[in-house]
Amino acid sequence: MSDKDSLDNMPVNEVASDSLVARFDGEVRSDTREGYEGYIVDANMLPEVASVLRDDLGYDYLSSVTGVDYIDDNHIEVVYHADQTTGGKGINLKVQLDRENPIVPTLVPIYPGADFQEREVFDMYGVKFDGHPNLRRILMWDGFHGYPLRKDWKEAYYEEDIKPFDSRWPGGGVKRSEADNPYGKNVNYPPGFDINNWTPETDDSLYESLEKTNSNGKSLHTDSIVVNIGPQHPSTHGVFRMVVALDGETITDLQPVMGYLHRNHEKIGERNTFLQNMPYTDRLDYLCSMSNNLGYALAVEQLMGADVPERAQYIRVLMAELTRISNHMWAIGFLLNDLGAFQTPALYAIRARELILDVFEATAGSRMMCNYMRFGGLARDFPDTLRGEDTVKFITDLVDNTLPKAIDELDHFLTANEIVRSRCIGVGVLPPDKAIAYSTGGPLLRASGVSYDLRTADPYSIYDRFDFNICTRSNGDVYDRYLVRVDEMRESTRICQQVMRDIPAEGEIFSGKPQYSVKVPAGESYGRVENPKGELGYYVVSTGKANPYRYHVRAPSFVNLTVLGELCKGHKVADAVVILGSIDIVLGEVDR
Amino acid sequence: MIGIVIEALIKSALIAFVLLTAFAYLTFAERKIAALMQVRKGPNRVGPWGLLQPAADGIKLIFKEEVMPAGADKVLFFLAPILTMIPAIVIVAVIPLGPDVELFGRTIRLGITDLNVGLLYILAIASVAVYGIVLAGWSSANKYALLGGLRASAQMISYEIALGLSIIGPIMLAGTLSLQGIVQAQQSSTWYVLWQPLGAMIFLIAGLAELNRAPFDMPEAEQELTAGYFTEYSGMKFSLFFMGEYIKMVAVSAIATTLFFGGYLGPFVDKLPWLGILYFAIKTVGFLFLMIWIRLTLPRLRYDQLMAFGWKVLLPLALFNVVITAVVIVFVG
Repeated sequence: MSDKDSLDNMPVNEVASDSLVARFDGEVRSDTREGYEGYIVDANMLPEVASVLRDDLGYDYLSSVTGVDYIDDNHIEVVYHADQTTGGKGINLKVQLDRENPIVPTLVPIYPGADFQEREVFDMYGVKFDGHPNLRRILMWDGFHGYPLRKDWKEAYYEEDIKPFDSRWPGGGVKRSEADNPYGKNVNYPPGFDINNWTPETDDSLYESLEKTNSNGKSLHTDSIVVNIGPQHPSTHGVFRMVVALDGETITDLQPVMGYLHRNHEKIGERNTFLQNMPYTDRLDYLCSMSNNLGYALAVEQLMGADVPERAQYIRVLMAELTRISNHMWAIGFLLNDLGAFQTPALYAIRARELILDVFEATAGSRMMCNYMRFGGLARDFPDTLRGEDTVKFITDLVDNTLPKAIDELDHFLTANEIVRSRCIGVGVLPPDKAIAYSTGGPLLRASGVSYDLRTADPYSIYDRFDFNICTRSNGDVYDRYLVRVDEMRESTRICQQVMRDIPAEGEIFSGKPQYSVKVPAGESYGRVENPKGELGYYVVSTGKANPYRYHVRAPSFVNLTVLGELCKGHKVADAVVILGSIDIVLGEVDR
Repeated sequence: MIGIVIEALIKSALIAFVLLTAFAYLTFAERKIAALMQVRKGPNRVGPWGLLQPAADGIKLIFKEEVMPAGADKVLFFLAPILTMIPAIVIVAVIPLGPDVELFGRTIRLGITDLNVGLLYILAIASVAVYGIVLAGWSSANKYALLGGLRASAQMISYEIALGLSIIGPIMLAGTLSLQGIVQAQQSSTWYVLWQPLGAMIFLIAGLAELNRAPFDMPEAEQELTAGYFTEYSGMKFSLFFMGEYIKMVAVSAIATTLFFGGYLGPFVDKLPWLGILYFAIKTVGFLFLMIWIRLTLPRLRYDQLMAFGWKVLLPLALFNVVITAVVIVFVG
């Protein structure tokens, strides 16, 4: 089965490579560095290459855009990963730019989904995307000086480039870096900056950039108002802000503003050792730590070439699918909250999720911050008993009876509810072509009728062994996203049932011997999984040292937000909240 | 003369006290019922079964800081909660709580007064309450509050018409605007809900909208407008809004009981008049429970759907109901 698949997929990539290199002779060349693959493209040829890639070769889905600062070679690389929504391996393009003045043409006209990701690269590396419609900082604030992910950027209280820090380890004594660096002494203000006469930037330019229309300007004069929904707001699911221009109650424009929870996850990740990042991935989408772990483990295992034992593979799939169910339970419950239901559906949804968290707690030791996967296996096997029952029996009962019942119950009470239907049907419609163009993922993409799911499009782990359907719906509105989530939960329970049926009763869960520091050969890898919210990708570059040279997270929530403004236009304020709820974001992942 | 004044004063004080206590325990009941319906425990720390929770909440609210927003219109900002609260209590004055009883040799009416235009009085006073909400939204200098205030005014205007039309039915059947008269008329026929099922339905729905209760709680829609018109309020002013809303709940339940469910009528009331109060309380509590239940069950309608429902469904239905009632009365008698 898998042999045949790889044979099927091979020619596509061959064709891609041949025609790309042949058509753009000299301007596109294969990346021949050790451990790297893909193509290096001349900056000014990028839009043309991307058009060919999209229109002639079928790579219609731009998965990820990111940068890497190769300070020793004095260039910044912008890395693009593109996919075919029909399935198969992805392709990556790289553009090498001068560190002093990095300029590259934008891909937003070709792939609108590049919008936020290019802004992020601009924010973090200072790469200017020529022609980008709205090139502003996205995670840092507008007045921020410097580009945090460049290798020569040092934060306040900077200690050393990589962990473990000498001050803490191996000497053992805890010496806080603040003691050496009282605030102010190592803070570099930008030239010409005067702390005493500084006034914070206002958002006037943002407010003015919003599109305001007077729909009934002919008969009656109306003014539009700008409302900030968030960052402190009950329905933004965290510290997220939507700047909304309103005509009456109708939204004429909406700009998402994010970054309030930004902690420079990726820089910290580059400072950590490979293994130290594992618990750190839990904090991205904190509802789905198991599948976050899995994506990162896959990325590093690709570099290491590590094998994963059979039993561990099954447990990984089980955990990832339980995560999907628990995430969708949460998403549906809180979608209903956003619709104005007073907590009741949410609490019933959470009740079912609680049992899944019990499984996580008993197995991984923690309910939400699981830190469970390792490179080449898992941290622990199942415990003997769970809630006083045999673990295997408990989980089997959970996936055979309890969860399907809970899903049916939600379905029974919510799906046909008149108010739910009238609030959700036809709201926030996303047509399939736009869903692909905006690089949306997960239920958002599949509710628009695009059958793209990495579990079958580019199978990882052992998903090719299971019998399950990719759930799609055709209208692409809030209601269909809800239905896709319900369907996906049912499919996930099916996968879990198959796992519990087929899992080897005994066996290793870790290959090789456990160690604190793993050897990762130099090279790049893009490990990705179908997270409950969409495609979660980890772009990892190793130089053979103990720390990743580059650690990028392609966060599904972040990319899915690109289309939010588009979806909300013309709807009411109340709908904006529901549309946001139906996209299902987690700010830990958006802001990183 | 003096006896009448003293009687009125005592009754007023008593009813105000009962209403305020009812408000406090209504919030408690809502939290407990919500908890039971949502597989949680609910308040259970203050006093036995959490029974002192409302007292603790009250003390907390009194000692909270009163924040006045910088851009607020101070007079209106201060006035708004009072304007919401007072009408809610005043409405109850005309509702008969039981038949006349003998006490200390005097015949005492259970209920503060019996206006011969009681229903008109109720409609008039209920309309005043919306000013409190609109003014709160307007004076807070906050965009959420403003949107909440706008929604409130639009919603109240749309639903007041349906509400007004729905009570025409009982008026026509009883031939009086006096609530006492309507109750007594139901003694000779039967509960008006049997004659006026549509009217009762419309009254309940429009009543919920008038109260800003879920699923019509647009003006304060937490998920959209944080707290709507009272976003900027804190401390006792905030709790006055809260009080106004809950006392109005009691009032609307009481009116529904009176108009459609026979008020204080029940078995043996003619022999034991004090039983009337009990029946009245049970029926009112039933409606309160229904309101809480609805809030815990249904999601919120959208603002434009709500308006469309009010104008395109409720209003024609209410008119239809009035016409049918009139036709039946004229031809059947």
